[in-house]
Amino acid sequence: MEFKERLGKEILFFDGAMGTMLQERGLQTGEIPELWNVTHEDIILDVHKLYLEAGCDIVKANTFGINPFKMEGTGYTCEELTKKGIALVKRAIAETGKKAYTALDIGSLGKLLEPLGELPFEDAYEAFKPVCIAGEQAGADLVLIETMNDTYEIKAAVLAAKENTNLPIVVTMVFDESGKLLTGADMEAAVAMLEGLRVDAIGLNCGFGPDVMKEFLPKLREVCSVPIVVNPNAGLPVVVDGKTCFHVGPEEFASIMTEIAEEGISVMGGCCGTTPAHIKALVESCKGKKPLKLFDKGRSVVSSYTHAVVLNERPKIIGERINPTGKSRLKQALRENDLEYIYKEALAQQDMGAHILDVNVGLPEIDEVEMMKSVLTGLQGITDLPLQIDTSDMVAMEQGMRLYNGKPLINSVNGKKESMDAVFPLVAKYGGMVVCLTLDENGIPETAEGRIEIAKRIIAEAERYGIHKKDLLMDTLCMTISTGQENAKITLDALDYVRNTLGVHTTLGVSNVSFGLPQRELVNTAFYTIALSRGLSAGIINPNSEKMMAAYHAYCALNASDVQCVDYINIYSQQADAPKKTSDKKEVTLYDAVVRGLIDSAYQAAKKELETREPLAVIDEDLIPALDKVGQGFEKKTVFLPQLLMSADAAKAGFDAIKEFLQAKGDASESKGTIVIATVKGDIHDIGKNIVKVLLENYGFDVIDLGKDVPPETVVETAKEHNVKLVGLSALMTTTVVNMETTIKMLKEELPDCKVMVGGAVLTQTYADMIGADFYSKDAMGSVRYANELFGV
Amino acid sequence: MKVDKKETLRYLGYRGNTPDAKIEKLIQEVTEELERESLPKSVYREFPCEVVGNQVKIGPFSVESKHLSKNLHGCERAIILAATIGRSADLLIKKYSVINLAKATIVQAAGASAIENYVDEVEEEIRKNAEERGFYLRPRFSPGYGDFPLECQKEVFQLLECSKRIGITLTKGNLMMPTKSVTAVIGLTREKYQSCHQKNCSRCEKTDCEFREE
Repeated sequence: MEFKERLGKEILFFDGAMGTMLQERGLQTGEIPELWNVTHEDIILDVHKLYLEAGCDIVKANTFGINPFKMEGTGYTCEELTKKGIALVKRAIAETGKKAYTALDIGSLGKLLEPLGELPFEDAYEAFKPVCIAGEQAGADLVLIETMNDTYEIKAAVLAAKENTNLPIVVTMVFDESGKLLTGADMEAAVAMLEGLRVDAIGLNCGFGPDVMKEFLPKLREVCSVPIVVNPNAGLPVVVDGKTCFHVGPEEFASIMTEIAEEGISVMGGCCGTTPAHIKALVESCKGKKPLKLFDKGRSVVSSYTHAVVLNERPKIIGERINPTGKSRLKQALRENDLEYIYKEALAQQDMGAHILDVNVGLPEIDEVEMMKSVLTGLQGITDLPLQIDTSDMVAMEQGMRLYNGKPLINSVNGKKESMDAVFPLVAKYGGMVVCLTLDENGIPETAEGRIEIAKRIIAEAERYGIHKKDLLMDTLCMTISTGQENAKITLDALDYVRNTLGVHTTLGVSNVSFGLPQRELVNTAFYTIALSRGLSAGIINPNSEKMMAAYHAYCALNASDVQCVDYINIYSQQADAPKKTSDKKEVTLYDAVVRGLIDSAYQAAKKELETREPLAVIDEDLIPALDKVGQGFEKKTVFLPQLLMSADAAKAGFDAIKEFLQAKGDASESKGTIVIATVKGDIHDIGKNIVKVLLENYGFDVIDLGKDVPPETVVETAKEHNVKLVGLSALMTTTVVNMETTIKMLKEELPDCKVMVGGAVLTQTYADMIGADFYSKDAMGSVRYANELFGV
Repeated sequence: MKVDKKETLRYLGYRGNTPDAKIEKLIQEVTEELERESLPKSVYREFPCEVVGNQVKIGPFSVESKHLSKNLHGCERAIILAATIGRSADLLIKKYSVINLAKATIVQAAGASAIENYVDEVEEEIRKNAEERGFYLRPRFSPGYGDFPLECQKEVFQLLECSKRIGITLTKGNLMMPTKSVTAVIGLTREKYQSCHQKNCSRCEKTDCEFREE
């Protein structure tokens, strides 16, 4: 019988540790165990046989560490080692005459993925791919992705297995004592993503012994609807004389595992420190036990790389601000590739209490696919909120779903056949909840019944793709009452039916209801409250609107989902105490605001000044003198770095106000010149460079920031393309100053007139001279002074 | 794991000056956030140690380094260790670089203090255990110090299974991610007079450094 047919119906047994067995047989610390598939095949074969004799049903091939990064320089390819690894299991099965499945064992790449690390998601995928292909070709029965501690890497591995093989996929992860992965993801988040990706079984391995793992199981069972796997260590590792030992013996192991079996576990086995004796004892005491019958937990959930957001009695807020429709400043940011503006919008909404953020970056004049990819990647390094991928471009949608680290919300599908044919296969493949618009080929029905009919059709069609209604978020389409007074009622009647009779969660673009009316917020908040009470699960609203948020918090207190009104009291008892904040702000001049580092006040003060004065005067008479004062203090060491930066941020807010003012008039701000800056190749420290960037921008320069780990070629190309007079380079490590030197050399050859200023922890004037830099800046103010001199300001 | 405020101020360039109340509050906020979100983890292993000339052998690991051999002179055993406070600092720096550069810089400084403090804690645990066995510790010495090649990070990572056990990874240039991580060698010697507590900075040759401890 196939593995998948038996999975979940009877307890199946994995084998135990390979590494432990090999160390006993002479594998040295630091040696690559997978090479033994070729160099010591008899020993590998022998270990497999021992586990088969012990009674296991699934044998893990010795392929855990096979990937292009670890195999580099070994003289072996991933393909040959994988095939050899699988073949050895097959041979052991044949020679012992036992029946067992062969698992292609896949472990971590040992690299950190973007945006925090340097490995792009698709490169991780490519690293797993050849191993998956070779494993299936050699006859593996399933893929085991194990000892994983990063959901993003797991996703790359799962996609590599799904797209290149037809094998069942089992994923086991290492949670720490707090029940989290190293990346901070909790169990709920990891399970949401993995169930979305339709893996066949989910579980725990390594890290702990069976006793600790047992404690995790109730939580895992509560959220997980697929078969559960438990492969613990033989206790915690203890290092004795440079050797790792494990102290839980076979009997103790088997006895705790028997208790674990009662929890309804489907697959059991061992990780580090377990031996054939452990597995034998385990099989003897648990064979014949039945796992609990699986049932769908029916949870409607989306997740980010850290946590899950569950749709339930407590309504959720989807922040609408990252959507260019009707927002000229966001449009400008998208056109100028100003991602920082988008990140700020994201963080502001998170601060105000949004649970999920809508991300729509579609503009006719930009490449939406590329923009979606870079914004999603960037946002995942800035905010831990789940994201809603909002696009009508199917390529952008799929690329976004691929790159998303978690289970996303998708916006949207509708009742048109064409739409469902395009969107549902993506949801079935990558996982996600999906917003369903109740419209079809005939447009938007003018009755609640009409919309309900479409909702039913969408639910049925989703089912055909294996998409349960728990993963649908029905939008009964909010339209303005200014064009039809019945509109709100129709929307709400349909919404009520969908949520309360069909049992499907709901969403609405709430603010549409007031389009064309004055004082829209009044109508919006009233409508929002009614919609919530009729069954709105997750409204798309502007979290920066205090009135909308007040309606939300008041509603949650009233419907008892804010238990004991804790959140309501927390938020609004504080607000009553702090009305003086606004009166404070009015007193401050722009100059003072910048000197004192008050960001909001600087923005407001600049706006006020612009009512009566020319932008240039505001810059030259207020902003620059204030920056100069702080800068001089910094150089005299009476002002310190944090203060300097607070002033820089305040000045930046002042410049933002000027920028907006000019843009409204159709003018562009004047630039003193363009400077390219970068942290050199090999170096990942960029905070110093970021400080320099902000200060240079404050002083009116256009700065092209190439980021960190930038190859010399990129610096030269960019400098050439923009014909710049000045390049700034940063390096923190002695080892990367070499790359700084190379970059300077290349720059001097290609652009003899371009000046280079350098900075960074290990640099000195002597060092800077030695590598041919034109200027050494010991701090950020130094770079401003040099740039001012060079550009004759 | 705790952040040392004095160290944080030193990394921020205060050199004995006191920050004003507003910065003080900012440092407090950032420190609390960092301490709350950090997941400190460490792994270490002890091996026999052999030093012949500039050649150092620690268990299966060997390297030629004048500075390391000087540091380990007279040591029978040595510990190779890796520690990290996790991704918190890197994530917070990324976030605050967008909205509040002062905070980002404080995370950077507080994170540097946090990892040093955490490694001190781990070292204390090692010291206790070593002293019970009649060993004294030499000051810890990291790849990249003096002529101890940064390249050795690769082997250290393999030996300790850093990525699997504590989630640190190496970039192509052998730098650690998360950035607030440390690898080091600690020599164990029977002779007490050889162990001395050194200030971190005394090991560094950059004597004109802004941040040098007196």
